[in-house]
Amino acid sequence: MMKYRLGIDLGSSYTKGVLVDEQNKIAGLHCVKSGYSFNNASSKIIEHFSASHEIQYPVYTCGYGREQISAPFVSNSELIALSKAVYEVYGRSCSIIDIGGQDTKFIKVNANGQVDKFKMNRKCAAGTGSFLEEIAFRLDITPEEFTAFAEQAKQEVKINSFCTVFAISEIIGMIKNGSTLPDIIIGIYNSIILRSMEMALVEDHLVITGGLPAKHPMIVSLFKKKYPDSDSPEHSQFLAAYGCVLLNRES
Amino acid sequence: MEELLKKTEPVKLESAAELRKTMDGYFTRLREAAETRNRKVAWCTSVGPAELLYSMGFEVYFPENHGAMLGAAKNADKYIPSAVAHGYSPDICSYLTSDIGAFLQNETPLQKSGFKSVPAPDILVYNTNQCREVADWFGFYAKHFNVPILGIHTPLSIPELSPEIIKSVSEQYKNLIPGIEQVAGVKFDMDRFREAVGLSHDGCALWRQVLEKAKQIPSPINFFDSAIHMGPIVVMRGTTYAVDYYKILLAELDKRIKENISAVPGEKYRIYWDGMPLWYKLSSMAKLFAKLETCVVASTYCNSWVFDDLDPSDPFESSALAYCKLFIVRSDEVKETVLENLLGEFSADGIIFHESKTCARNSNNRYGLQNRLFKKTGISYLEINGDLNDPRCFSEEQSIIAIETFVEQLAGKSGK
Repeated sequence: MMKYRLGIDLGSSYTKGVLVDEQNKIAGLHCVKSGYSFNNASSKIIEHFSASHEIQYPVYTCGYGREQISAPFVSNSELIALSKAVYEVYGRSCSIIDIGGQDTKFIKVNANGQVDKFKMNRKCAAGTGSFLEEIAFRLDITPEEFTAFAEQAKQEVKINSFCTVFAISEIIGMIKNGSTLPDIIIGIYNSIILRSMEMALVEDHLVITGGLPAKHPMIVSLFKKKYPDSDSPEHSQFLAAYGCVLLNRES
Repeated sequence: MEELLKKTEPVKLESAAELRKTMDGYFTRLREAAETRNRKVAWCTSVGPAELLYSMGFEVYFPENHGAMLGAAKNADKYIPSAVAHGYSPDICSYLTSDIGAFLQNETPLQKSGFKSVPAPDILVYNTNQCREVADWFGFYAKHFNVPILGIHTPLSIPELSPEIIKSVSEQYKNLIPGIEQVAGVKFDMDRFREAVGLSHDGCALWRQVLEKAKQIPSPINFFDSAIHMGPIVVMRGTTYAVDYYKILLAELDKRIKENISAVPGEKYRIYWDGMPLWYKLSSMAKLFAKLETCVVASTYCNSWVFDDLDPSDPFESSALAYCKLFIVRSDEVKETVLENLLGEFSADGIIFHESKTCARNSNNRYGLQNRLFKKTGISYLEINGDLNDPRCFSEEQSIIAIETFVEQLAGKSGK
């Protein structure tokens, strides 16, 4: 019976599992909310795949909860794992912008697949998934409705505030002054893009990954307007988990 | 990867016991002076004219050292709000805000050493070579204790040390004397001043030798040790106590080199630390780097504390030169060259820039220096955000991930 290896990215918002076959190909994906217990979240991932596949231990982890798992594991650096997976997909030097639940990361991968440079968002989590979720909650629209609204935008309004709470006050002020929700939502998306663009200079092919662009494809299109040489690979939210397995393939 | 996660701990220096004795002696002298009033107490900035004050019979207290103690005791965030409520912004020097806040709450870690409170000053003397905040900070206490405050105003961002600058600062040194004499009740004595400058020079020369032992691969000492063991060169510069202590530390480091004992077992990577220490995370950071088999071999914070231009044959001019040459008061061009040289001399694989929220003068990644240095040297860098004293400005988990990733990046690059 074929044995499968499992990569788990225990992120601040979601825990992502990737099942990898003996040819290092993705054989399954599963994602659950991280909630209050990384161990519960990873158990759900393991149970999900164990029902139909034989898993080979240890599992390979990364992310905030990378060491909070009761199954045998080998933990990895999320950024190195993500770079590995992106290099596996593209096979050349590139820049990665990854937007997750509370982190935005910039990674410069060289022609040999090594990390040349990286940067993480620092003082606050504006411009990340949590930022969007909070705004969605306060405006009482689902994150899924964001895209539908954004598609109706006629012009962009500019969101200035660095602080999530104040950004919401700013948005409420805009609504009061007659701005439409679709125009505001495009403004929110663009503020996220601007925030990630200030992390570093993108001088080559840009790969956009993470939960936020995966759930909000409009962000990828907006990035493309600024960087024509950019795209977002399939299952980009799962790539760090996949990379964990790839990093350990020799062992 | 599994190897990287091997649990290793930094090896403690045996001289730590002697360090404690040396520091205890210093605080005992201060406490006695404060209690009996048999000696005058001067407050001085860390790069202020300590030699002049010691030569005129003062016990010298350093609020910056006290600030670091508050940070290391993980209490700064308890005190900062009091200073903020008194109108000091949380964005300015957190040594200042935690020190003034603690004073307002009538608390000090010195109470554990028998002090009732910080030793009341008879005079306060500062030099703005560190930053302008020290003048405001000392101003608060001058007003509170109603005692004289004197200062040297050093030009900032000095590119070249011109004769005019040295002359101006040297004159300012001399101009302090009448005011200090008045409080000291004794006349300035050139011979005693020469002696203090000579001792300061000797202490600095020994401190330099201590730091330079880290050029050895593997290094017998790391930044987290040095940040603690620099206590005597900060507070006892110009006395025999500092000289005596560094002879002991130096001997231990020589012994370590001989016996091949490294500060970080299995040292694989060598890092330079720019910026202030994270005082409230010093030991957990030391453990993190040790776990990563990475030795922080040199730092701007410790390595810029060498004033061996001091010369007893020309005490005023040489003091001016030594204290204007200080890294923090130099232009970015000069800083870049200093860093480039240190990276090479200490065989650093990478450099970490700690951008301190409340210490702009000690954060050297704000004007593109990090990029320029990387282009010149090819040595990778990492920027982390935090603060010297205020833990509320530091996201620990994020920084750990960044540091671990950085070490892996260096591993990938070097193939070690």
